[in-house]
Amino acid sequence: MTPPNDKIILTEALTKDYELGAETVHALRGVDLVVERNEYVAIMGPSGSGKSTLLNLIGCLDTPTGGRYWLNRQEVSRLDDAELARIRNREVGFVFQTFNLLPRATALHNVELPLIYAGVPAKERRERSAVALEAVGLADRMHHRPNELSGGERQRVATARALVNNPSILLADEPTGNLDSTTSAEIMGLFDELHAKGQTILLVTHERDIAAHAHRAIQLRDGRIERDERRALAEAIR
Amino acid sequence: MKFWEGIWLALLQLRAQKLKSFFTLLGVIIGVTFLISVIAIVQGMNRFVREDFATAIFGVNTLQIHRRETVQVGREDVEKRRRQARNPFLYRADADALRATVPGVWRFGYNSDAFLPEVRRGEFRRRNVRVVGGSEGYLDLQGWDIADGRAFNPLDYAYGLRVAVIGSAIAERLFPDRSPIGERIRVGPHTYTVVGTLKKQGGLLGNIRDASIVIPFPAYRGDFAVRRDVVDEIAIKFRNTREMDAGRLEVEAVLRQRHRLRPGVENDFAIESATQLLDAWQKINRILMAALPGLVSISLVVGGIVIMNIMLVSVLERTREIGIRMAIGARRRDILLQFLIESATLSVMGAAAGVVFGALLAQVVRAATPLPVSVAPWSVAVGVVLGLLVGLFFGAYPASRAARLDPIVALRYE
Ligand SMILES: Nc1ncnc2c1ncn2[C@@H]1O[C@H](COP(=O)(O)OP(=O)(O)O)[C@@H](O)[C@H]1O
Ligand SMILES: [Mg+2]
Repeated sequence: MTPPNDKIILTEALTKDYELGAETVHALRGVDLVVERNEYVAIMGPSGSGKSTLLNLIGCLDTPTGGRYWLNRQEVSRLDDAELARIRNREVGFVFQTFNLLPRATALHNVELPLIYAGVPAKERRERSAVALEAVGLADRMHHRPNELSGGERQRVATARALVNNPSILLADEPTGNLDSTTSAEIMGLFDELHAKGQTILLVTHERDIAAHAHRAIQLRDGRIERDERRALAEAIR
Repeated sequence: MKFWEGIWLALLQLRAQKLKSFFTLLGVIIGVTFLISVIAIVQGMNRFVREDFATAIFGVNTLQIHRRETVQVGREDVEKRRRQARNPFLYRADADALRATVPGVWRFGYNSDAFLPEVRRGEFRRRNVRVVGGSEGYLDLQGWDIADGRAFNPLDYAYGLRVAVIGSAIAERLFPDRSPIGERIRVGPHTYTVVGTLKKQGGLLGNIRDASIVIPFPAYRGDFAVRRDVVDEIAIKFRNTREMDAGRLEVEAVLRQRHRLRPGVENDFAIESATQLLDAWQKINRILMAALPGLVSISLVVGGIVIMNIMLVSVLERTREIGIRMAIGARRRDILLQFLIESATLSVMGAAAGVVFGALLAQVVRAATPLPVSVAPWSVAVGVVLGLLVGLFFGAYPASRAARLDPIVALRYE
């Protein structure tokens, strides 16, 4: 079965169990999810409901225990390590709550990293990284290291890094979780802009006003989708 | 490009922790220092023995014939010494017979010598002097060049004239104020006329020559010989080693015949050349060279284990970095390669430091001794390649540990 072209993400009864000693934690208990091109989706839910687990599966950082998953019409649940690495490199851009930048590398070098693993030649790499940094408003911070940047600036570097290889989807796991409200608003403004330019975005948050930027809100509870609401309802949340 | 990045990262690591890196790499540094310096020094000794020492004693392609061995190689053999003490003397007639029959002779000479308590000119004196009575061609054969005046001529020999060629140390001591040429000196109870001086040689072996007086054999025979017509040494110089080896057999045959030795009886004379000394040196050389790989590999293995431990710590400390890299698309082999390159770079830097230290050590030995020590280019190559191999071998396990990390676990680390 191959899903139609416009469906970037399609999951079918996706489950994820963690073995904790003798105990099994059912982090996801069967998730069916369809995300189409240029959607802006917020994944919400209480702590421990499986938001991060779902996002990591979608981002191919982790592999599901059961169910099937297609990313861009390719069945990801069957791929090996190297192919998953390729997907993480080309198809997915990840933004983390804790930024996850390399502390000893400059902003430019951090943004270059995905291109290094994509095998892009040095000159082109530098140009594209510079463009990506300019796009997030950090043209003048390229040669700074993470510890010389504010939290908001770090998250922009991370966003530039996530986008530099033109991924199909941008995944963000509580990207504003470590930021104050003003900086959060800046980052969300950036995401809105990206979405307006056609970027597909999945965003995990437990804050309603952050989720309100999305056009669709998925509510998780105990590893299942409890509610899936389109824009109108998202507006209502606000 | 990932390759260069790996090297770059490793160099950053080195720079960030200079002291720690130094101790990390100490084993490799010591191993390669050993390798470079020992090879340089052994080769220097080799060249010294081959080109200076052995030939200074025996001369190039020269056979020396004595009634007993002058240079004993290896352990002292008292029994042999005692046996050789009973050997018959060599006579002028033996020398003449050899000169007449041995093929391929290029230079020929014989001599006897005696040590005198002093030589004197007026109030100037020099103690402990070696007087050498040389045959015609003796100076030539020894390669002793005249600095001033002349060498001996046939008349000196024919008439047994009391003429002398003196070494530079004696010339300096007896003639601080004037040229010695034509002057008279007292050699023991006899008066000799100085006709020439020898060029100063200096050095360990040259000192003896500088303090020598050479006189024609007939004069020596008359004035200083304890036993007339006995010669202490016969020397035959050949054009090349091949002719020398052939000549050696003939010398042996002639002397055995003259001494009426039956087949199977040991020689009662000694034929020596630089070859013996070189053979002995080769043995020492082989032992040194055989011990070297052991020493080097012990330090390299110890160094490798230290590097492995440091790399394991580094992998642990950088677990999160590895997670980040995997999250943005690094494959397992990218991570593997990164850490392999890092450990190889570290180790090669250690090897490079070892090359530098080894070269410095060689330089010190060169300055402090007469050995012509110089670093062998091939040993540098071997050192660097060994460094590389140590880095790759001992980096393999830490690197594979890094590559096997689960991306999500690595990302969550700490
Ligand atoms: N590596 C893990 N090992 C064991 N349990 C885990 C692991 N990761 C997540 N879990 C459990 O899975 C459930 C979902 O976690 P998560 O997806 O992180 O929730 P959320 O992001 O919504 O807070 C939680 O009960 C959590 O404790
Ligand atoms: Mg979470």
